[in-house]
Amino acid sequence: MRLEDHPIVEFKRGKEVTIYFNGKPIKAYEGETVASALYAAGVRTFSRSFRFHRPRGFFCAIGKCSSCLMEVDGIPNIRVCKVYVKDGMQVRTQNSFPNADNDLLGVLDSIIDRFYPHGSHYKKFNRPRILREFITKRVRGFAGTGNPPKKVFEGEASFEEIETDLAVVGGGPAGMSAAIFAAKAGARVILMDENPFLGGQLVKQTHRFFGSGRHRAGTRGIRIATILADEIKELKNIDVRFETKVFGIYDGIVGAVEKEKKLLRIKPKKIVVATGAYERTLIFENNDLPGVYGAGGVQTLMNVYGIKPGNKGLIVGSGNVGLILTYQLMQAGVKVAAIVEAMPRIGGYFVHAAKVRRLGVPIYTSYTIQRAIGKKKVEAAEIVKLDENWCPVKGSEKRIECDFICIAIGLSPTHELLYQAGCEMKFVPELGGLVPVRNKYGETTVEGVYVAGDVAGIEEATAAMMEGRIAGIDAAIKIGYGGDEALKIREEVVRDLKEFREGPFGARIVAGLQKVTMEEGGA
Amino acid sequence: MKIAIIGSGIVGLSAAYNLANSAEVIVFERRYPLYGSSGRNSGGITPMLGSKELIELAKKSIRIYDSVQGEVNFNFLLRKDGYLKVAKNDADLDELEKEYHLQKSMGVKVREVDPYEIKNMVQGFNPKSVEGGFFGEGGVIFPWPVIWGYEKGCKERGVEIKPMTQVSEVVVEGGEVKGLKANGEFYKADFVVNAAGAWSNEISKLAGVELNNTIIKEEICVLESLKPFIDPYILNVSNGVYLSQSARGEVVGGILGKEVSNPETSSSLDFLIKYAKRAVEMIPSLKGLSVLRQWAGVYDSGKDGLPVIGETNVKGFIQANGLGKYGMTIGPAAGELVAEVILKGKTYDKFSPERF
Repeated sequence: MRLEDHPIVEFKRGKEVTIYFNGKPIKAYEGETVASALYAAGVRTFSRSFRFHRPRGFFCAIGKCSSCLMEVDGIPNIRVCKVYVKDGMQVRTQNSFPNADNDLLGVLDSIIDRFYPHGSHYKKFNRPRILREFITKRVRGFAGTGNPPKKVFEGEASFEEIETDLAVVGGGPAGMSAAIFAAKAGARVILMDENPFLGGQLVKQTHRFFGSGRHRAGTRGIRIATILADEIKELKNIDVRFETKVFGIYDGIVGAVEKEKKLLRIKPKKIVVATGAYERTLIFENNDLPGVYGAGGVQTLMNVYGIKPGNKGLIVGSGNVGLILTYQLMQAGVKVAAIVEAMPRIGGYFVHAAKVRRLGVPIYTSYTIQRAIGKKKVEAAEIVKLDENWCPVKGSEKRIECDFICIAIGLSPTHELLYQAGCEMKFVPELGGLVPVRNKYGETTVEGVYVAGDVAGIEEATAAMMEGRIAGIDAAIKIGYGGDEALKIREEVVRDLKEFREGPFGARIVAGLQKVTMEEGGA
Repeated sequence: MKIAIIGSGIVGLSAAYNLANSAEVIVFERRYPLYGSSGRNSGGITPMLGSKELIELAKKSIRIYDSVQGEVNFNFLLRKDGYLKVAKNDADLDELEKEYHLQKSMGVKVREVDPYEIKNMVQGFNPKSVEGGFFGEGGVIFPWPVIWGYEKGCKERGVEIKPMTQVSEVVVEGGEVKGLKANGEFYKADFVVNAAGAWSNEISKLAGVELNNTIIKEEICVLESLKPFIDPYILNVSNGVYLSQSARGEVVGGILGKEVSNPETSSSLDFLIKYAKRAVEMIPSLKGLSVLRQWAGVYDSGKDGLPVIGETNVKGFIQANGLGKYGMTIGPAAGELVAEVILKGKTYDKFSPERF
């Protein structure tokens, strides 16, 4: 299932290693995550759900969901999409007997609701006391996802205290731009990302960007990531921390864990949160069946690790992500059965849609997915026509043969860190969900905490980079760096971004921004 | 008779539950049930306590939990797998032993355990981390269904519970309670019960009654879910760290709180660092597990460590607060005492608001 020839991406694989999955040896390459190596080896059931023991498979690929929790070298509840293979690694599935693929407790899925419906653990078997105490004890035996740790974690544990000017959370287009612009103005910056590379989701964008030349149009996303990363390497006042997860902002103190072994306690003067977004899912029957993936998850699998997601896919959603993913799949030699779109018209740019149509992929508008078909993995999908009230039209069901389904219906901002930091949040549909109130430079209602990129509102990489530059340079200015030159640059980028949003696709964003942008000054 | 209770935590609701058949009861809640410490604690309950009064209330409360669950037909997920108090040094162990004799004399089931017995009781326990301990009756209750169940019971008995309703004034005329104002409206009441937990000092001020309960803030965190392997509730009295495993398999734990001047519930990084160190010292296999979430709660304690329950010098204004970290442990019985104070005019010297 690994791709060897790809027209755009060249996959450099590391040394061959062997990992053990439920005791069975599996071939993998250094640099691959456990999840992608397992996928390449044909593993589809990654875990079982907590209560019903339904099979769960690969989904988001970026550590945002809980579908791939496994036991790694005796330590339970590890997201294997974020763990890199090591020779001899022992990986086991959890919460199943004997293993996730053939879980005898899977029978609960069909019977548990009949006898013990959800919520009944509070309401059933309460009288007499003896029965209640017996049932409460027994039910506890079924609880828990991972096994208790079999041995003590051997990783070293250390601690580092850091004082700096600016802490940037997230090394995607927005975070990288913020770091660069703040550093160029003279600020000392710590840039943290949970991955072992910079670029965020740019690394899977193998297509060329649109817009004017100034906005790096015509350049492929992966190339932009490299350009920015190189620029960061040149700037000596940016301290980049890879595989570093920021977990909290406590009254201006940033808490993070570097490479699973070092706790960082960072005291910056300003903070830029550029945590990006995660994929939305959609409600339909069997939407948790292995083979139903987030579009980004498939892009990660295919464009980053060079692994084919399947033989034939169904794409749900005709926005740019769905359209681009379609031709990326075809570039990798994967067939696309169809694209379904609930709206009466295609959501993405005309050029992308035209390209997909030329390749012979049918786009069904006013259609949605009704259910995924299959027992342990996707074997087909059923789609249905929607009437003008968004209700399924009886008799219009169509069976689409496919072995995977990509949900490409948009993103939600990864807002948790901002919420935790105490920023005032608002639900703005135009911006994709919960976003922070901010001023025009991206500073939130918590003084010194800025936002940039998708976490500030779902847009795309070009705008994210500009928001990052504005936040980074404004933070530097407020600390006292940069002088008049910095002020000039800041106003220039603000103007640029305004101009960029003046097109028809920007109207919705501008409407959304009006709801969350404070007048001058801000916090 | 009309009774207004301020606060829908364990004390307010159990008082309401016990008063409902004899009076018209309204419960006023500034936020929502579970917002305060009744919704934020770790659910450890035991009669292994340090004073006669607390032990009595705790023993009685466990009996009440047993019967109320049947009465309201709601499972509080009470698991009586025991309570383990451990100490890291001889001084603390001596202290526990003193308590042990008192507990024994009052019929509490409890025995001394050495570090190796503890190791056999809790998988992965590090016997070198403690000097010894005591194991006895008690266990873990899930606080949320306790509150939901009492709410259900109260409503079935005709009690009105008003969430998001802030009491702004306790109306007192001629040294007597006449009612209260909440969300701009006046409610007539013969009795006003102050069961506002960490906010009790503020409420008391509204009635012109001085109350100086200590406010304590405590932080807790939860680890990702594991198959059950820790049965008892464990409290290390030397460094304040405690933990247990919930019905969902999550390891819930924290560190005993510290006095603060104002009730606020922000979380801290320092807590996580301290908790991780202390919990891992006790159970080394917890090292490497992920924290799922963390939070803080605030509660109030009478200055001498005992609850404040009784009528004040303002006639009809009843204190029902200051339960400290024992809210879940003694709350149900404390609610019964509140009912006795109101219905039978009883006084309890040890808990009297006038004792300070």
